[in-house]
Amino acid sequence: MDEVELRRQLERAHADCIGWAMACCGRDRDDAEEVLQTVYLTVLDGRARYDARSSFRTWLFGVIRRTAASERRKAWLHGLLLMREAGSLKPQAPAPPDAEVERDSRRHSLRHALARLAARQREVLQLVFYHDLTVDEAAAVMGVTVGSARTHYARGKARLATLLGDAREL
Amino acid sequence: MMDESELRRRFTELREADRERTPSFAQTYGRARARRSWRATLRVRPLVIGAAAAVAIVAVWIAHARSFSPSAVTPTIVTWRAPTDVLLRTPGSELLGAMPALGASVLDTMIPTPSKRGT
Repeated sequence: MDEVELRRQLERAHADCIGWAMACCGRDRDDAEEVLQTVYLTVLDGRARYDARSSFRTWLFGVIRRTAASERRKAWLHGLLLMREAGSLKPQAPAPPDAEVERDSRRHSLRHALARLAARQREVLQLVFYHDLTVDEAAAVMGVTVGSARTHYARGKARLATLLGDAREL
Repeated sequence: MMDESELRRRFTELREADRERTPSFAQTYGRARARRSWRATLRVRPLVIGAAAAVAIVAVWIAHARSFSPSAVTPTIVTWRAPTDVLLRTPGSELLGAMPALGASVLDTMIPTPSKRGT
Protein backbone atom coordinates (compact mmCIF):
# COMPACT_ATOMS: atom_id res chain seq x y z
CA MET A 1 0.00 0.00 0.00
CA ASP A 2 1.56 3.33 -1.03
CA GLU A 3 1.62 6.46 1.14
CA VAL A 4 -1.32 8.15 -0.59
CA GLU A 5 -3.50 5.10 -0.09
CA LEU A 6 -2.33 4.76 3.52
CA ARG A 7 -3.25 8.38 4.23
CA ARG A 8 -6.65 7.86 2.67
CA GLN A 9 -7.29 4.78 4.81
CA LEU A 10 -6.12 6.57 7.95
CA GLU A 11 -8.33 9.53 7.20
CA ARG A 12 -11.32 7.25 6.74
CA ALA A 13 -10.71 5.47 10.04
CA HIS A 14 -9.75 8.63 11.94
CA ALA A 15 -12.98 9.23 13.91
CA ASP A 16 -13.06 5.59 15.00
CA CYS A 17 -9.41 5.69 15.92
CA ILE A 18 -9.89 8.61 18.29
CA GLY A 19 -12.61 6.69 20.14
CA TRP A 20 -10.44 3.60 20.44
CA ALA A 21 -7.36 5.61 21.43
CA MET A 22 -9.41 7.27 24.17
CA ALA A 23 -10.51 3.86 25.42
CA CYS A 24 -6.87 2.78 25.51
CA CYS A 25 -5.82 5.94 27.39
CA GLY A 26 -8.35 5.90 30.22
CA ARG A 27 -10.60 8.31 28.25
CA ASP A 28 -8.02 11.07 28.36
CA ARG A 29 -8.50 13.02 25.14
CA ASP A 30 -5.06 14.68 25.14
CA ASP A 31 -3.25 11.40 25.69
CA ALA A 32 -5.39 9.77 23.02
CA GLU A 33 -4.50 12.39 20.46
CA GLU A 34 -0.83 12.09 21.29
CA VAL A 35 -1.00 8.32 20.86
CA LEU A 36 -2.79 8.76 17.55
CA GLN A 37 -0.13 11.18 16.32
CA THR A 38 2.54 8.62 17.15
CA VAL A 39 0.54 5.91 15.37
CA TYR A 40 0.09 7.98 12.21
CA LEU A 41 3.80 8.72 12.05
CA THR A 42 4.64 5.08 12.74
CA VAL A 43 2.36 3.91 9.94
CA LEU A 44 3.32 6.56 7.39
CA ASP A 45 7.04 6.14 8.10
CA GLY A 46 6.67 2.43 7.42
CA ARG A 47 7.65 1.33 10.93
CA ALA A 48 4.33 -0.54 11.18
CA ARG A 49 3.33 -2.34 7.99
CA TYR A 50 -0.12 -3.53 7.06
CA ASP A 51 0.17 -7.10 5.84
CA ALA A 52 -3.51 -7.53 4.83
CA ARG A 53 -4.03 -10.51 7.14
CA SER A 54 -7.00 -8.69 8.70
CA SER A 55 -9.02 -5.61 7.82
CA PHE A 56 -7.12 -2.31 7.86
CA ARG A 57 -9.16 -1.04 10.80
CA THR A 58 -8.54 -4.16 12.89
CA TRP A 59 -4.81 -3.93 12.21
CA LEU A 60 -4.78 -0.20 12.97
CA PHE A 61 -6.63 -0.74 16.25
CA GLY A 62 -3.94 -3.25 17.21
CA VAL A 63 -1.22 -0.68 16.49
CA ILE A 64 -3.08 1.92 18.56
CA ARG A 65 -3.46 -0.52 21.45
CA ARG A 66 0.26 -1.39 21.47
CA THR A 67 1.30 2.26 21.11
CA ALA A 68 -0.94 3.32 24.00
CA ALA A 69 0.50 0.55 26.18
CA SER A 70 4.03 1.64 25.25
CA GLU A 71 3.23 5.30 26.03
CA ARG A 72 1.78 4.27 29.39
CA ARG A 73 4.98 2.42 30.24
CA LYS A 74 7.07 5.42 29.21
CA ALA A 75 4.91 7.75 31.30
CA TRP A 76 5.25 5.46 34.27
CA LEU A 77 9.01 5.25 33.82
CA HIS A 78 9.36 9.00 33.67
CA GLY A 79 7.21 9.55 36.70
CA LEU A 80 4.76 11.58 34.69
CA LEU A 81 1.83 9.98 36.41
CA LEU A 82 2.52 12.04 39.51
CA MET A 83 2.77 15.22 37.45
CA ARG A 84 -0.51 14.40 35.78
CA GLU A 85 -2.18 13.96 39.15
CA ALA A 86 -1.02 17.44 40.07
CA GLY A 87 -2.11 18.88 36.75
CA SER A 88 -5.51 17.23 36.63
CA LEU A 89 -7.19 20.03 38.53
CA LYS A 90 -8.67 21.67 35.47
CA PRO A 91 -11.19 24.49 35.69
CA GLN A 92 -14.74 23.20 35.50
CA ALA A 93 -16.65 23.72 32.29
CA PRO A 94 -19.81 25.82 32.50
CA ALA A 95 -22.95 23.81 33.37
CA PRO A 96 -24.65 22.32 30.28
CA PRO A 97 -28.30 23.15 29.43
CA ASP A 98 -30.98 20.99 31.11
CA ALA A 99 -31.69 18.86 28.03
CA GLU A 100 -28.07 17.83 27.91
CA VAL A 101 -27.84 16.99 31.60
CA GLU A 102 -29.59 13.63 31.34
CA ARG A 103 -27.56 12.47 28.35
CA ASP A 104 -24.45 13.68 30.08
CA SER A 105 -25.40 11.75 33.18
CA ARG A 106 -25.96 8.54 31.15
CA ARG A 107 -22.60 8.93 29.44
CA HIS A 108 -20.95 9.58 32.77
CA SER A 109 -22.49 6.47 34.33
CA LEU A 110 -21.34 4.38 31.33
CA ARG A 111 -17.79 5.72 31.58
CA HIS A 112 -17.82 5.14 35.32
CA ALA A 113 -19.11 1.58 34.92
CA LEU A 114 -16.57 0.82 32.19
CA ALA A 115 -13.80 2.05 34.44
CA ARG A 116 -14.84 -0.53 37.03
CA LEU A 117 -14.52 -3.45 34.63
CA ALA A 118 -11.39 -5.55 34.14
CA ALA A 119 -9.18 -4.18 31.34
CA ARG A 120 -9.85 -7.06 28.93
CA GLN A 121 -13.60 -6.87 29.51
CA ARG A 122 -13.59 -3.13 28.96
CA GLU A 123 -11.60 -3.50 25.74
CA VAL A 124 -13.78 -6.17 24.21
CA LEU A 125 -17.00 -4.32 25.05
CA GLN A 126 -15.62 -1.08 23.64
CA LEU A 127 -14.60 -2.82 20.43
CA VAL A 128 -17.91 -4.63 19.99
CA PHE A 129 -20.42 -1.99 21.12
CA TYR A 130 -18.63 1.26 20.37
CA HIS A 131 -16.75 0.28 17.21
CA ASP A 132 -19.15 -2.41 15.96
CA LEU A 133 -16.44 -5.02 15.57
CA THR A 134 -17.24 -8.71 15.84
CA VAL A 135 -15.88 -10.64 18.80
CA ASP A 136 -13.46 -12.39 16.41
CA GLU A 137 -12.12 -9.04 15.19
CA ALA A 138 -11.90 -7.79 18.76
CA ALA A 139 -9.83 -10.85 19.64
CA ALA A 140 -7.43 -10.01 16.78
CA VAL A 141 -7.07 -6.43 18.00
CA MET A 142 -6.50 -7.54 21.59
CA GLY A 143 -4.09 -10.29 20.61
CA VAL A 144 -6.03 -13.02 22.43
CA THR A 145 -7.79 -16.16 21.25
CA VAL A 146 -11.39 -15.95 20.13
CA GLY A 147 -12.45 -18.18 23.01
CA SER A 148 -10.79 -15.89 25.52
CA ALA A 149 -12.39 -12.84 23.90
CA ARG A 150 -15.84 -14.49 24.05
CA THR A 151 -15.39 -15.19 27.75
CA HIS A 152 -14.34 -11.59 28.46
CA TYR A 153 -17.25 -10.37 26.35
CA ALA A 154 -19.89 -12.44 28.16
CA ARG A 155 -18.58 -11.66 31.63
CA GLY A 156 -17.99 -7.99 30.85
CA LYS A 157 -21.44 -7.52 29.37
CA ALA A 158 -23.13 -9.09 32.38
CA ARG A 159 -21.06 -7.04 34.82
CA LEU A 160 -21.61 -3.80 32.89
CA ALA A 161 -25.36 -4.37 32.73
CA THR A 162 -25.40 -4.98 36.47
CA LEU A 163 -23.35 -1.88 37.20
CA LEU A 164 -25.50 0.32 34.96
CA GLY A 165 -28.67 -1.19 36.41
CA ASP A 166 -27.45 -0.45 39.91
CA ALA A 167 -26.57 3.09 38.91
CA ARG A 168 -30.08 3.58 37.47
CA GLU A 169 -31.73 2.34 40.64
CA LEU A 170 -29.74 4.73 42.84
CA MET B 1 -30.81 -5.93 34.53
CA MET B 2 -30.11 -3.95 31.35
CA ASP B 3 -30.56 -5.65 27.96
CA GLU B 4 -28.10 -5.59 25.05
CA SER B 5 -30.03 -3.05 22.97
CA GLU B 6 -29.90 -0.59 25.87
CA LEU B 7 -26.15 -1.16 26.17
CA ARG B 8 -25.74 -0.48 22.45
CA ARG B 9 -27.79 2.70 22.77
CA ARG B 10 -25.59 3.91 25.62
CA PHE B 11 -22.42 3.23 23.66
CA THR B 12 -23.85 4.98 20.60
CA GLU B 13 -24.55 8.07 22.72
CA LEU B 14 -21.01 8.00 24.02
CA ARG B 15 -19.59 7.62 20.50
CA GLU B 16 -21.64 10.52 19.16
CA ALA B 17 -20.54 12.75 22.03
CA ASP B 18 -16.92 11.82 21.41
CA ARG B 19 -17.18 12.53 17.69
CA GLU B 20 -18.55 16.02 18.31
CA ARG B 21 -15.19 16.95 19.78
CA THR B 22 -12.95 14.90 17.53
CA PRO B 23 -10.22 16.93 15.80
CA SER B 24 -9.97 16.41 12.05
CA PHE B 25 -7.44 14.04 10.52
CA ALA B 26 -5.58 17.01 9.00
CA GLN B 27 -5.23 18.63 12.43
CA THR B 28 -3.97 15.48 14.10
CA TYR B 29 -1.60 14.65 11.27
CA GLY B 30 -0.35 18.26 11.14
CA ARG B 31 0.43 18.19 14.86
CA ALA B 32 2.16 14.85 14.45
CA ARG B 33 4.44 16.26 11.74
CA ALA B 34 5.17 19.36 13.81
CA ARG B 35 6.04 17.15 16.76
CA ARG B 36 8.33 15.05 14.59
CA SER B 37 10.25 18.07 13.31
CA TRP B 38 10.52 19.41 16.87
CA ARG B 39 11.85 16.05 18.06
CA ALA B 40 14.32 16.00 15.20
CA THR B 41 15.49 19.45 16.30
CA LEU B 42 15.84 18.22 19.86
CA ARG B 43 17.82 15.23 18.65
CA VAL B 44 20.20 17.41 16.60
CA ARG B 45 20.52 20.17 19.17
CA PRO B 46 22.90 18.34 21.57
CA LEU B 47 25.19 17.58 18.62
CA VAL B 48 25.25 21.22 17.56
CA ILE B 49 25.86 22.41 21.11
CA GLY B 50 28.58 19.80 21.58
CA ALA B 51 30.32 20.78 18.34
CA ALA B 52 30.15 24.49 19.24
CA ALA B 53 31.54 23.79 22.71
CA ALA B 54 34.38 21.72 21.22
CA VAL B 55 35.26 24.51 18.78
CA ALA B 56 35.21 27.07 21.61
CA ILE B 57 37.41 24.90 23.82
CA VAL B 58 39.93 24.35 21.02
CA ALA B 59 39.98 28.10 20.23
CA VAL B 60 40.59 29.00 23.88
CA TRP B 61 43.28 26.34 24.18
CA ILE B 62 45.10 27.60 21.08
CA ALA B 63 44.94 31.20 22.29
CA HIS B 64 46.24 30.16 25.70
CA ALA B 65 49.09 28.10 24.22
CA ARG B 66 50.14 30.97 21.96
CA SER B 67 50.32 33.45 24.82
CA PHE B 68 52.94 31.28 26.61
CA SER B 69 55.01 30.00 23.70
CA PRO B 70 58.30 31.74 22.62
CA SER B 71 57.36 33.84 19.67
CA ALA B 72 58.92 36.39 17.43
CA VAL B 73 58.19 39.14 19.93
CA THR B 74 60.27 37.62 22.75
CA PRO B 75 63.80 38.16 21.31
CA THR B 76 62.97 41.78 20.62
CA ILE B 77 62.13 42.28 24.28
CA VAL B 78 65.27 40.47 25.44
CA THR B 79 67.60 42.45 23.21
CA TRP B 80 65.93 45.73 23.82
CA ARG B 81 67.98 48.34 25.63
CA ALA B 82 66.63 51.48 27.14
CA PRO B 83 68.02 54.67 25.55
CA THR B 84 69.08 55.91 29.01
CA ASP B 85 71.27 52.86 29.75
CA VAL B 86 74.30 54.92 28.88
CA LEU B 87 73.74 57.07 31.97
CA LEU B 88 74.39 54.04 34.16
CA ARG B 89 77.98 53.82 32.82
CA THR B 90 79.87 56.04 35.29
CA PRO B 91 83.65 56.78 35.10
CA GLY B 92 85.72 54.07 36.83
CA SER B 93 82.90 51.55 36.77
CA GLU B 94 85.35 49.00 35.28
CA LEU B 95 87.29 49.07 38.60
CA LEU B 96 84.22 47.88 40.41
CA GLY B 97 83.50 45.22 37.84
CA ALA B 98 87.00 43.57 38.00
CA MET B 99 88.59 41.43 40.74
CA PRO B 100 91.48 43.32 42.44
CA ALA B 101 94.82 41.38 42.44
CA LEU B 102 97.46 41.33 45.16
CA GLY B 103 100.73 43.19 44.22
CA ALA B 104 99.02 45.18 41.52
CA SER B 105 97.91 48.73 41.53
CA VAL B 106 94.63 50.00 40.32
CA LEU B 107 96.60 52.63 38.53
CA ASP B 108 98.01 49.96 36.24
CA THR B 109 94.69 49.53 34.72
CA MET B 110 94.24 53.25 34.32
CA ILE B 111 97.78 54.25 33.29
CA PRO B 112 99.43 52.09 30.63
CA THR B 113 102.84 50.63 31.56
CA PRO B 114 105.91 51.52 29.39
CA SER B 115 105.97 48.09 27.81
CA LYS B 116 102.33 48.46 26.84
CA ARG B 117 102.95 52.05 25.81
CA GLY B 118 105.86 50.94 23.51
CA THR B 119 103.55 48.92 21.32
